[in-house]
Amino acid sequence: MENKPLLEVKNLKKYFPIYQGLARRKVGDVKAVDDVSFVLREGETLGLVGESGCGKSTTGRTILRLLNPTDGEVYYKGKDVFNASKKEMLALRQEMQIIFQDPYSSLNPRMSVGATVGEALIQHKMYKKGKELDDRIREILELCGLADYHINRYPHEFSGGQRQRIGIARALALQPSFVVADEPVSALDVSIQSQIINLLMELQEKMKLSYLFISHDLSVVKHISNRVGVMYLGSLVELSNKKDLYENPKHPYTQALLSAIPVPDPTVKRERILLQGDIPSPANPPKGCKFHTRCPYAKDICKQQVPEFRKLGDDHFVACHFAK
Amino acid sequence: MSKHLLEVKDLKTYFYTDKGVVKAVDGVDFHIDAGKTLGIVGESGCGKSITSMSVMRLIQKPGKIESGEILYQGKNLLELSEDQMRSIRGNEISMIFQEPMTSLNPVFTIGYQISEALMLHQKLSKKEAREKAIEMLNLVQIPRAEKIVDEYPHQLSGGMRQRVMIAMALSCMPKILIADEPTTALDVTIQAQILNLMNDLKQRLNTAIMLITHDLGVVAEMADYVVVMYAGKVVEEGPVKELFANPKHPYTIGLLKSKPNLHEERERLDSIPGMVPNPIDLPKGCYFHPRCKYATDECRQGQPELKELNPKHKVSCFVASREVQK
Repeated sequence: MENKPLLEVKNLKKYFPIYQGLARRKVGDVKAVDDVSFVLREGETLGLVGESGCGKSTTGRTILRLLNPTDGEVYYKGKDVFNASKKEMLALRQEMQIIFQDPYSSLNPRMSVGATVGEALIQHKMYKKGKELDDRIREILELCGLADYHINRYPHEFSGGQRQRIGIARALALQPSFVVADEPVSALDVSIQSQIINLLMELQEKMKLSYLFISHDLSVVKHISNRVGVMYLGSLVELSNKKDLYENPKHPYTQALLSAIPVPDPTVKRERILLQGDIPSPANPPKGCKFHTRCPYAKDICKQQVPEFRKLGDDHFVACHFAK
Repeated sequence: MSKHLLEVKDLKTYFYTDKGVVKAVDGVDFHIDAGKTLGIVGESGCGKSITSMSVMRLIQKPGKIESGEILYQGKNLLELSEDQMRSIRGNEISMIFQEPMTSLNPVFTIGYQISEALMLHQKLSKKEAREKAIEMLNLVQIPRAEKIVDEYPHQLSGGMRQRVMIAMALSCMPKILIADEPTTALDVTIQAQILNLMNDLKQRLNTAIMLITHDLGVVAEMADYVVVMYAGKVVEEGPVKELFANPKHPYTIGLLKSKPNLHEERERLDSIPGMVPNPIDLPKGCYFHPRCKYATDECRQGQPELKELNPKHKVSCFVASREVQK
């Protein structure tokens, strides 16, 4: 594995303003992503996990500038993504792609598979309409486990798993080197999930891809990732290589999250850490450590001071006052 | 008088669509005893939800329960009048649904929705029902129950709404609780809370639970006995420990292996090739044979029956049955 950073995210913030009243006065912000920093290395898969509303998808989309950032910097191969001009951005988009969660709503029902996959190739002036384009599309479809005769079909003719393959084909058509995979298997059945995960891993090897793999499913993330970041209420609470994170989680939230997953083995009886209550609203996050309202170990300092994102050991970062 | 609390015999529920007959549930047998949890596992479209809807007699046109018996305490539910069925539904057998967001009525208060069943079935007065509703909300560990009872569903989070659903379902102290994917829409930490709550209530109230899910982890944790369904049929069943330790049907084996496991490292996930067959156009022979790597000519021709491997474990597969005979 090479260690060159491909993508650097520094202090990324994305706030969604809340307007209220007749005058639509701004009364606050939903802090969807609140000061997130990490590095993605070439050829690796960084998993981003967390529960709904923790800001993992917003992070992925903001990095690609599908949402305008509130603050922060993102460097892709050293290039400043947020300050890139239109022309530079066009070139960057070729290298940075996204696979969406919902294979039903993320495909245009009125565009054939060929048009969906080929659109970007034409847009980026890599191909003109014609036989060469069709050949290239067929090649990509086959790479993603679809048949070449699927090129003229429409999304409604496909099952969920196949649609997700179309979504993957569309993302990979431009031969990107960085792909944000936003919950790519969450909407699929178990037997289909494993097909898609295997496909993503094969393609990574063939095309030298780097993934930012966003998911709420910790077991899927464990399987596919090299490093894993855990998010809670818009912040990264722990970031580490996979082995350390799963074997030796330091943050109380990570520990609780790991213990909450049901294991498909009835003989295992585990001590489960049950968290009390719900995730607080990101419009009004708790002061101090955001997790203190649900943390079984919270002390006074947690209610007042925001814990620093500290380095604990090699490649292991934790935002907790008491983690050792 | 049957010895089981609920016994389903050879249940067939078909849907008559323009394109053909969909055999959503095609000859399913199982039973549930008091205080036990039965897990029904399968992927989308395997007929697990239709099975539970059939037990509640909630099948609507173009669907129809073709044949079979649903014996609840010895009574065949399929022979009851609609009025008699109403006195059982929500009272003795109740159900919680997958989507806590859409299965509560947005224009009524939480308290009203819980009281409704109590006033109807238990003939409680408005005031008594309200008190009972608060008691139920406390039972499912909702904080500030006295306040929540006057609030509306949109004011609650997903986990809270699912708790309300459970409170509602348990308000009349049913003998059987049917839970159709009760935690699928929830986050893992909330899921853990809800599963814990269900187990706790099962023990306290001695309710039988019919748990329908696609999540093998949830089944392993909750169920005493497991039924695996594929394309409207039961392909394997057995006690949870036996089934997970010793799965025999290639589909069950495939399902277990295709899920990444937290405690295991693997290079590649085993996956079941292909996809669930179209229910209008099911393959000849064993419905699973196009996706099965052990399929023989026998599997392509005839349909295997659910046979006993040993007194506890049943499987519907030619290959698996033959292996045991050897």
